[in-house]
Amino acid sequence: MAVNSHNNTDTRNHEIGAPAQAPHVVPVTVNVTDDFPGGVAGFFARWQSLLTGLGITGRKALGPATTLRYPHEKVALSPRWRGALRLRGILGLDDIPIIEDTPPEYNALIDGLYRADRLPPCVGNCPANVDARGQGYYLGEGKPAEAYELVRDRNILPGVLGRICHHPCETACRRNYYDEPIAIRPLHRHAYEEYVKVASERLEPLERTRNRRIAIIGSGPSGLAAAYDLMKLGYSVSVYEKEKKPGGALYSGVPSYRLPREVLHDEIDNLVTLGMEFKLGVEVGKDVPIDYLLGEYDAVLIAVGLQESRIIPVPGHTAEGVTGALPFLRDANWKGDPGVQGKRVLVIGGGNVAVDVARCALRTGATEVRLACLEGEEEMPCHPWEIEEALDEGVIAMCSLGPEEVLVDDEGKVRGMRMRECISVFDASGRFAPQFGDEYTEVAVDMVVFSVGQGPVLADVVAGSDLTLTERGLLPVDGTLFTTAQEGVFASGEVVTGPGSAIASIATGHEAATSIHRYLEGLDLAEGRVARPVPVYDKYQVAHIDGVEANRRRVTMPMAKPEERATDFRHIELGITHLEALNEAMRCLRCQSEVCVGCTFCARTCPDYAIEVERVDDPGERRVTHYELDLSKCCFCGLCAPQCPTNALTHTGQYELSFFHRDLTIFDRHEMLRDGAGTRATGRDGVHEAVREVPR
Amino acid sequence: MSGLAWGAFYGLAAGLVIAVAALIGVWGERKVSARIQMRIGPQELGPFGLLQTLADTVKLVLKEDITPRAADVRIFRIAPLIVFAPIAMSLAVIPYAAGFAPLDTSVGVLFFMAVPAISVIGVLLAGWASRNTYATIGGLRAAAQMISYELPRTLSVLPFVLLAGSMRPLDIMDEWRWWWIPLTLIAFVVYFISSVAEVNRGPFDLPEAESELVAGYFADYSGIRWAIFMMAEYGGLVAASLFGAAFFFGGYLGLPGALGVIVLIAKATLIATAMMWVKWTYPRMRPDQLMGTAWKVLTPMALVQLVIVGAVIPWL
Amino acid sequence: MAAEIGQDECFVNEVEPSVDELVVNIGPSHPSTHGVCRVIVRLDGEVVTKAEPVIGYLHRGIEKMAENRTYLQVVPLTDRLDYVGSMYANWAYCRAVERLAGIRVPERAEYLRVIVCEMQRIASHMMSLGSAAADTGAFTMFIYAFDQRERIVEAFEELCGARLTYNYVRPGGVSFDIPEGWAESVLAFCRDHRTALDDIDALYFGNVIARDRMKGVGVLSAEDAVAWGASGPVARGSGVNWDLRKHDTYSVYPRFDFDVPTGTNGDCYDRARVRLFECYESCRIIEQALAQMEPGPINASGMPRLLAPRPGDAYDHIESARGSLGVYLVSDGSVRPYRMKVRSPAFCNLALLPMLAEGHMLSDLVVILGSLDPVFGEVDR
Repeated sequence: MAVNSHNNTDTRNHEIGAPAQAPHVVPVTVNVTDDFPGGVAGFFARWQSLLTGLGITGRKALGPATTLRYPHEKVALSPRWRGALRLRGILGLDDIPIIEDTPPEYNALIDGLYRADRLPPCVGNCPANVDARGQGYYLGEGKPAEAYELVRDRNILPGVLGRICHHPCETACRRNYYDEPIAIRPLHRHAYEEYVKVASERLEPLERTRNRRIAIIGSGPSGLAAAYDLMKLGYSVSVYEKEKKPGGALYSGVPSYRLPREVLHDEIDNLVTLGMEFKLGVEVGKDVPIDYLLGEYDAVLIAVGLQESRIIPVPGHTAEGVTGALPFLRDANWKGDPGVQGKRVLVIGGGNVAVDVARCALRTGATEVRLACLEGEEEMPCHPWEIEEALDEGVIAMCSLGPEEVLVDDEGKVRGMRMRECISVFDASGRFAPQFGDEYTEVAVDMVVFSVGQGPVLADVVAGSDLTLTERGLLPVDGTLFTTAQEGVFASGEVVTGPGSAIASIATGHEAATSIHRYLEGLDLAEGRVARPVPVYDKYQVAHIDGVEANRRRVTMPMAKPEERATDFRHIELGITHLEALNEAMRCLRCQSEVCVGCTFCARTCPDYAIEVERVDDPGERRVTHYELDLSKCCFCGLCAPQCPTNALTHTGQYELSFFHRDLTIFDRHEMLRDGAGTRATGRDGVHEAVREVPR
Repeated sequence: MSGLAWGAFYGLAAGLVIAVAALIGVWGERKVSARIQMRIGPQELGPFGLLQTLADTVKLVLKEDITPRAADVRIFRIAPLIVFAPIAMSLAVIPYAAGFAPLDTSVGVLFFMAVPAISVIGVLLAGWASRNTYATIGGLRAAAQMISYELPRTLSVLPFVLLAGSMRPLDIMDEWRWWWIPLTLIAFVVYFISSVAEVNRGPFDLPEAESELVAGYFADYSGIRWAIFMMAEYGGLVAASLFGAAFFFGGYLGLPGALGVIVLIAKATLIATAMMWVKWTYPRMRPDQLMGTAWKVLTPMALVQLVIVGAVIPWL
Repeated sequence: MAAEIGQDECFVNEVEPSVDELVVNIGPSHPSTHGVCRVIVRLDGEVVTKAEPVIGYLHRGIEKMAENRTYLQVVPLTDRLDYVGSMYANWAYCRAVERLAGIRVPERAEYLRVIVCEMQRIASHMMSLGSAAADTGAFTMFIYAFDQRERIVEAFEELCGARLTYNYVRPGGVSFDIPEGWAESVLAFCRDHRTALDDIDALYFGNVIARDRMKGVGVLSAEDAVAWGASGPVARGSGVNWDLRKHDTYSVYPRFDFDVPTGTNGDCYDRARVRLFECYESCRIIEQALAQMEPGPINASGMPRLLAPRPGDAYDHIESARGSLGVYLVSDGSVRPYRMKVRSPAFCNLALLPMLAEGHMLSDLVVILGSLDPVFGEVDR
């Protein structure tokens, strides 16, 4: 074995407050040496020391006793004395809690769970707080339709998001800590695929119980989420869409190799079945003025999203062959031809849209696709798996370059791009302030696509209302309540948040729906509302997975071969099988459910092999059949309890177990579940219980 | 015949008295040490835990009496009695009440000083017969210590012999005056310290130093024989306290009968408590320091006292 | 050492009788060996001519066991190194792991570690002073010291549920945050503790008998202390001004104002009294730390369940109650340490015993042993 000795002295600098140079000369300030004086004084000092001693012991003898009458007083003293190891719940005897959607108070529920430390990290990290734990539970129990419906409550298009979501849930998944995260996004997709089979039986139009009507402008994810929430509350909802087909950016922007259009339309058809009313091809502002909507409906939600691509005004940006990302993607998605056949394409930008553009360009016949961005390779804003897939397909990434000038030939067509080296993108305070170097790079290209951000086009929409736009064309919106300057008009989605993810837009839609409901009911909009609780979850280091059994590893999503998939718009994620999905669902640890799921991490951590856990993994029959703690081995180190992903296992003290009830050495699962108060192991728990009865 | 019967009766009575005194003494010691150490002490058995030592005695009596295989069996078994008997005998000459000392002899003071010294032989035998290094060292230490402290202890009582002109305890009691207390203060300090050393109690408990010699000369004893050693220790404590109370504090104050005995015992209790107080306050001395204290501090102090008393007598 | 003596000399009676020398086994089961040490003492009368400590009675192979456990599972083992100062071994080990794996510990965790370790220092010194006093027969002083220790143990029990093997410091942080009201009770303890220390000082260190027993006994020169690798109060008692908290400072110690008590004579008295004075200093540090501590996380974020540091090695040492306690870890990149080595201050200090005891009396031997304050869980490991 080779062991490299590396210099570890640098880590010392990590320390808080450690000086660069340790002071090696510290003056002696306290000297302990002491002695009696000499001569006669010493003789008397010696006798006096004896009397002093007698005085101290005599004083103590007259004072109160500090010892306790065991165990009565001892019990009353120790507040942490409440049982050593205990399970709060166990699968098979207890159920996993499902975080049911209860509009419009869902956020309060999430907030309460978070404060009580009962919120799974996947749910907490999801902008829309989709109950991924409940999905895993239902899928594992063999109830995919229930799983689908649970997800749909918070994530209006599970089948769509199951393909395109950037899954912050998986980033936060606690399984990262043990091996690999649960494949939550593929499970959404799987739930959808199973749901399709039974959709006709389960879909029933929602009842309209309230005599109020709401107009929603825009059928993107945010608008649909708000519409669905309001429908569940019994309102009539009309969704206005200027295009011929609903879906918003999902329809126009997301390339179909990631999202097959039939999935999108199928899910929206399901919403129509539920009673959602679409007004397609109606552009608010042109076809109908917003005044009309305000008169016709009780409330209006603006969820039009971002329509316009930004183009950096570098010299030559007006040349032929320079375009923005959104027009490019629309052409690619709707016509199948953005006009790049046989051309060399340069995409400016490092975000997900830029990658989408680049990959679309490859698929529509570009001979060479380059991606240029300001950021370095490590800090590209797109998701790492996106750029990785794009690189696999043949996209050439050029990092740390800023656009300087579009080179134009005599005919006014693009012939190349001059770019300047970018040294740093953000300043010390984290603001966008790129610093450029002196090196210039030129690339010969035929087409330049700017994908550096989008903006809303709202002038037409708000024309005729009391709403005013800012100088930059933005609509002022309250970020928590999603109200606008005009009463009865609300806004959600990327209009409010700026460019973001689909799931974040959905989250704003839910919030806007809550506001609309309260507005219509005449309730206080702000009561109990905070900016959505945003729990901060640690970013996990990559876990050590050597020796992890194959069935504990994350399912791998089969992908189409890069060289083949880059030629057309075929779906690149091929999907997982039913069995794989079941296994994946059962990998879910049901975090924070306070129910033991038999994950065995406690047993694996126990240094003394004192814990035995056995479970049955059959679909729909998953339960913990055996949980045993051998107290004769247990050293009460408590390493097991922090390992418990569900918080079912708790550990506090060891004292009483070493003192009382030595005869009880094996705790079976029922014993582990014993009630906290007056347990057999302790005979007492907490102060009051303890004083009542003390066994000898 | 009558002398033998009297002797047998007296032996029985002394054994009983010492047993009761040891029971109460152990309880008292536990309580005193507990109070000094901020503890509660015996509390469960009987009022204030008084019956705790009785229970312990029952336990000790019932325990197996182990004799080490290597031990010199006969000596090993008889040694506790040799330690105990002289202590019991010394109780006989103490003046308990006016006109009452069980053994009224004209050499009472000498008897009290000389007879308990015999128990040194028992300690030495016990240490030797155990054939145990710790016990041997403990026995040798005990011999050296007890013999050394005989001298200052005897010297500390001599002033009374001078003052009363008699060695008969009852005579001394008759002559006793209150101003003897300030006059013999130095003698009392010497007597107190050397008595503590004589009965092997802390800070002079080197022969049985727990941290060095485990239990010293009785390390190998168990059950009733061990209990006899403990009784001897407490018997010595009782005897020294009673004798000190009688000579240095006027004893029964001329009171006859039970009243005199009660007064004497009350005074002796104070002295015994002080001895316990001292034991639970100070660390243990080292053997050479112990010897140094006896010869260099206590003996000169006792001689100084003797000179003072001798100088006073002509003026009486 | 032990091999030289041989098994036959275990029983005194089998040794060939000698008129000059008496061979006494102090231990392995003996009231003053503070555990299971055996000292073979040759006596000339009461004077020790040779004292040889025989160690290994508490050897459990902890360093070897660590090689078969994950980095986290080793922590309970370190509890059992120095069982009167478990926090130190926890911390030293965790520091080595953190250095090896490049883990940054949150500030609050550092403060908590400092607080519990200074409390542990008091508890450990109280244990040491108490048992050293009991060795000289001052049993009451032992009780007074243990009374103080008991309060700290109570506080630890309230903090982490354990009274002896706390397993409190974990790689990346600590196991529990402080419960409600705990800080106030600790401050109250610090206040009372100073009074108790004054009493102990007057009762024991001022007492003529105790001074006679300890002064001039087992004198260790500063040169010898350095040469023999002594550390902690043993070295400081000899006037070696060396305290890792000052001289190779770590954690948040630079933020505290405290002194390093040292002696001049290097005898048992100075060694013991250094411990007494360190308790005052620990009180000062605890009070400052509690005042400076701010709310925050108590564990490093995002640590994987199984630590697998990159191949390499790391050494870190802290100032334990007994001296500089170091842990050396070698990683081969797997989830278990390739090798763990503990630099035990108690072991180095115990090695001084034969030199210090020679020529003193048997009674001094136990005083010297007590002043070296060995804990055999750490000596034997």
